[in-house]
Amino acid sequence: MVRTKGYPAALDQKLQDTRLHNDDSNPEFTKNVKAISRTTAHMCYQCGTCTGSCPSAPRSTYRIRKFMRRAVLGLENEALTDPDLWLCTTCYSCSDRCPRDIIPTDVIMAMRNLAFKRDIIPVNFLKTVQSIYKTGHGVPNNDVNRAAREKIGLSRDPPTTHMYPEYIPGIQKILDHYNLKANSDRIVKEREG
Amino acid sequence: MVEKKKTTTKKTETKKKDTKKVAPVKQEIKKQAPVKTGPSEKPRIGVFICHCGTNIAGSIDIKDLEAYAKTIPNVAHTDNYQYVCSTPGQKKITDAIRDQKLTGTVVAACSPRLHEPTFRTATKEGGLNQFRFEMANIREQNAWVHMHDKEGATDKAKDTIRIAVAKASLLEDLTPKTVPVEKAAMVVGAGIAGMQAALDLAAAGIKTYLIESAPSIGGRMSQLDKTFPTLDCSQCILTPKMVDVGRDSNIELYTYSEVDAVEGYIGNFDVTIRKKARGVLTMAEAEARGIIGGGCNGCGDCDPVCPVVKPNVFEMGMKPRKAIYINHPQVVPLLYTIDFDSCVKCGLCVTACGPERKAIDLEAKDEFIKVKVGTAILATGFELFPIEKKTEWGYKKFENVITGLEFERLICASGPTSGHLVRPSDGETPKRIAFLLCAGSRDNTGVGKPYCSRFCCMYSLKHAHQIYEKIPGAQTYIFYMDIRSFGKAYEEFYYRIQDEGTKFVRGRVANILEDPKSKNLHVYADDTLLDRPMDLEVDLVVLASAVQPSEDTNRTRKLFGVSCSMDGWLLEAHPKLNPCGTTTAGVFLAGVCQGPKDIPDTVASAEGAASAASIPIHKGEVELEPYFATCIEEKCAGCGMCVNLCPYSALALVDKDGRTVMEVTEAKCKGCGTCGGFCPGGAIWMNHFATPQIVAQIDAFLLGGEQ
Amino acid sequence: MSESKFKFAFYLGCIAPNRYPGVESASIKAMKKLGVELVPLKGASCCPAPGAFGSIDLNVFYAMAARNLVLAEQMKMDIALVCNGCYKSIWEVNHKLKHNKDLRDNVNEVLKEVDMEYKGTINVYHTAELLYNDKFIGVDKVRDSVTNPLTGARIAVHYGCHLTKPHKDREFEKEVMLNTEHPVWMEELVAALGATPVEYRNKMQCCGAGGGVRGYDIVHALDIANEKLINITEQKVDALTDICPFCQLQFDRGQIEIQEKFGVSYNLPVLHYAELLGLAQGMSPQDLGLDLHGISCESFLQKVL
Repeated sequence: MVRTKGYPAALDQKLQDTRLHNDDSNPEFTKNVKAISRTTAHMCYQCGTCTGSCPSAPRSTYRIRKFMRRAVLGLENEALTDPDLWLCTTCYSCSDRCPRDIIPTDVIMAMRNLAFKRDIIPVNFLKTVQSIYKTGHGVPNNDVNRAAREKIGLSRDPPTTHMYPEYIPGIQKILDHYNLKANSDRIVKEREG
Repeated sequence: MVEKKKTTTKKTETKKKDTKKVAPVKQEIKKQAPVKTGPSEKPRIGVFICHCGTNIAGSIDIKDLEAYAKTIPNVAHTDNYQYVCSTPGQKKITDAIRDQKLTGTVVAACSPRLHEPTFRTATKEGGLNQFRFEMANIREQNAWVHMHDKEGATDKAKDTIRIAVAKASLLEDLTPKTVPVEKAAMVVGAGIAGMQAALDLAAAGIKTYLIESAPSIGGRMSQLDKTFPTLDCSQCILTPKMVDVGRDSNIELYTYSEVDAVEGYIGNFDVTIRKKARGVLTMAEAEARGIIGGGCNGCGDCDPVCPVVKPNVFEMGMKPRKAIYINHPQVVPLLYTIDFDSCVKCGLCVTACGPERKAIDLEAKDEFIKVKVGTAILATGFELFPIEKKTEWGYKKFENVITGLEFERLICASGPTSGHLVRPSDGETPKRIAFLLCAGSRDNTGVGKPYCSRFCCMYSLKHAHQIYEKIPGAQTYIFYMDIRSFGKAYEEFYYRIQDEGTKFVRGRVANILEDPKSKNLHVYADDTLLDRPMDLEVDLVVLASAVQPSEDTNRTRKLFGVSCSMDGWLLEAHPKLNPCGTTTAGVFLAGVCQGPKDIPDTVASAEGAASAASIPIHKGEVELEPYFATCIEEKCAGCGMCVNLCPYSALALVDKDGRTVMEVTEAKCKGCGTCGGFCPGGAIWMNHFATPQIVAQIDAFLLGGEQ
Repeated sequence: MSESKFKFAFYLGCIAPNRYPGVESASIKAMKKLGVELVPLKGASCCPAPGAFGSIDLNVFYAMAARNLVLAEQMKMDIALVCNGCYKSIWEVNHKLKHNKDLRDNVNEVLKEVDMEYKGTINVYHTAELLYNDKFIGVDKVRDSVTNPLTGARIAVHYGCHLTKPHKDREFEKEVMLNTEHPVWMEELVAALGATPVEYRNKMQCCGAGGGVRGYDIVHALDIANEKLINITEQKVDALTDICPFCQLQFDRGQIEIQEKFGVSYNLPVLHYAELLGLAQGMSPQDLGLDLHGISCESFLQKVL
């Protein structure tokens, strides 16, 4: 059975073949997830301890168990294009309880890394990068806070990159090594114009 | 017991006579000692290479290997075959020995643990002494571990064969030693496994010592209410067996006792039993002390006067007992026990017992009894994994989270609640009950157990059934990953339980939280089939806790020289073909100590072990491999340094023809080689592992065959 | 107080110095009284945020955290920090780099470009850990340092996630800190200040802010925080305490957002344990900059001052 049937678009969508086919699986995906996550995602036996522990699951369609299954089967597209991938709060409750000693949270992180390679990433993540590139801080200082700091006897800027901006070029070099700023700027621009 | 000691002494005497009987064998071997410089004839070695189907041939180049083997010094004949262990394969060996006038054989195949006996027999049938055979392991230690490196594996196989040929060239004739077997057996542990094994041995006419560390027999099975899938009452089917054990004249039962020390070897184990101070005399013991008509009759007059209250472990701590106690009314033997760790020695029980019975001795001490047995069966059983270690389920933190074994006591008519299942927090009847399977089993975190505990699925199904039997309107939930109902009539039982209304939730429970007011429990899990997380409020949670070897298993197995696997279960000689045997000859395994088993499997294993343990006894004698040390008296300086080194106390200095020389007691020698490796004068010859043989092997390896 | 027994490089992170400066000043002063000197870690940056950076590229995450570690290595001092998120980045990367040569080599290749080398010579501690572990301070010393006991205050504890989870990778000397299901060690620290720690439903649940979720789907993140706020306020508490400025932001500023978006309000004061400790040691609310909090701490202060 051909997967795209050549019907009018709406019908093609409605009647699409939803079965799992061999070519849905990319064995490389399983390997990549394992390499980046440094945990044994392929050992999942689908007990659901992870989802049962997950604070995001009860209020969304996010199912970490499903992502683990996708890691096992190599379902790269399905995993990386699912917007639920970004609903993990990284609380590690699943990782604490997983009987197979897997760290599912790190599997999610690895999948997010792989998604980013395909430019799939929510913009807020990139804005943190831009902020750190500029100031060294993800949540930078502001004038209200400077005044408050002074009032309680602290320096207006903390002794971080804020007080010592000469450290910022070093940070920029590291981020540039990975081309992270350029990529972030490009993606943010594409999304927000 | 005094009488028994006598029997034991008599036995030892008989044994001494037996030792004399085998003395000629010893002398024969002694005679060989002076010629221990290697056989005089020119060695002619035959090398037989096994393909083992593709097991070996798949990763080793057999042709190349055989071509190489032809070039090894002393090799007079080579051959290869698909399965050398098969009848035609063995015929190749016997024929070649005759036709090629071989002096030794080498088979390059699997581990000697598998087929050394086979090829020794073939060598013998060809007309050579069976110890002229050497095995080169090119399967387990080569083909299987170097599956993806054919060239490397072939090179390694060449080394292995060259080394084996070097040894085979120097092998000499040896005669196996035969020792008589004591016509008695020991069974350690009197749960259903140990009881069944003892009953079988006894029925086969073998005197059997049955040792149990608890005050009474019956083990875990006596704690169960009903058994799956037939729903027989556990006590009803167990009690007759317990009574039989107590009555059988061939069974000598030692309760509240443990094995203290083991010496000897198959056929002749000297076992010391420690009878823990029980503080209560049996009628026989009383009579032996001259108290006619006295001793404990189980009347229980002592119990109410005892002021010390302790938790009853048989009832999983849910019922109190006194410092002087029996665990439950059906105990065998019906004999009270004093827990001297908590007894305050107030003497009230002594008064209650009275001057006629005089059954209580507050000054009792441990007694040690020595017995001799030919074979032994370990049946030390299991205990529950301490499931409180899995903190997410709150056992021991939340009152209404209990274990399966606690459930058994709570649902049992003779249990602490007379069979009324109640919530520990408030004594109310629970209506919503959740069962958690794989609680601590199939757990790779290092906290729980990696294995399947095998019987929890089935007993949890049974528990669910029992709830519907007793609590109308109840609702049970079974949280599972897989239902493993593999036994006879088990799947049908699963069908029945589902039909009765149990909801099966395919999901492992993530965690449990307690409502602080109602003490109800919230069970959090993922219904993986529905793909929906759940928060299920229930009145009671039952954890099907993993099982682990019983506390005393490790100590006992060390005494008998039995190995265990990483998780502590005792190691069988072969998982498929010798599941009841161990690598220690004469020691066998029964029941759960070897790995989790349900009752049918446990009983089958016990009968298997009993059968295996009775074979050497019925044969009357066993052959020991003649791998012991021998003293070359001309070279021995009598320095005696070896005597202290020997871990088995097998060596002694004796005066012979006016000289002091070392002498080996072969029955004690295990052939470890400690003495042989140490002797400064080279006066100790290790049969079959002699210095020239080992040096030749090392040379063959290091010099690459260029010697 | 005489010469400090212990000195640590004080890694500040972002939210503590830039949103809740009282956490910074209270930590320095309170720890000083307890014999621990916190020395500024000059030029430190964002840890970097484990959710954001870890999600994008773990290699950048390792390298950026390693840069902060190297700054402390150059000072030859162990790091102390006040934030669970920072702990995850700084402690965990330190741990990973110490134990994995491949990661260490990769990181050093990048650090070479900025004339740095990660050597793995220091350890990383959360101040809560220093306070709890009697090798450094311990609960008794904390209790002894109290001049203004917070008597009568009912305080709920939020442990947060990244200090102790995943527990199988953590290596606390105090084993009770590895209990991530029913821990009570922070309650002990709260009780040491004279306050009454209060248990509540599902105490170990996450605040909802981590993993970039607060930025990605704010109502989702707030709904998780709200569930906790419901469970906490059920117990009639006077304040919530935390050991993570990011969790604090989520519960403190988050309450305002919850009010705006869901129309429910709790007015539950949220204080970092360092702020509580400062108060108990006699610092004034002004010294602690408590007026910067989104939710007024007034009701709580009235109870304890």
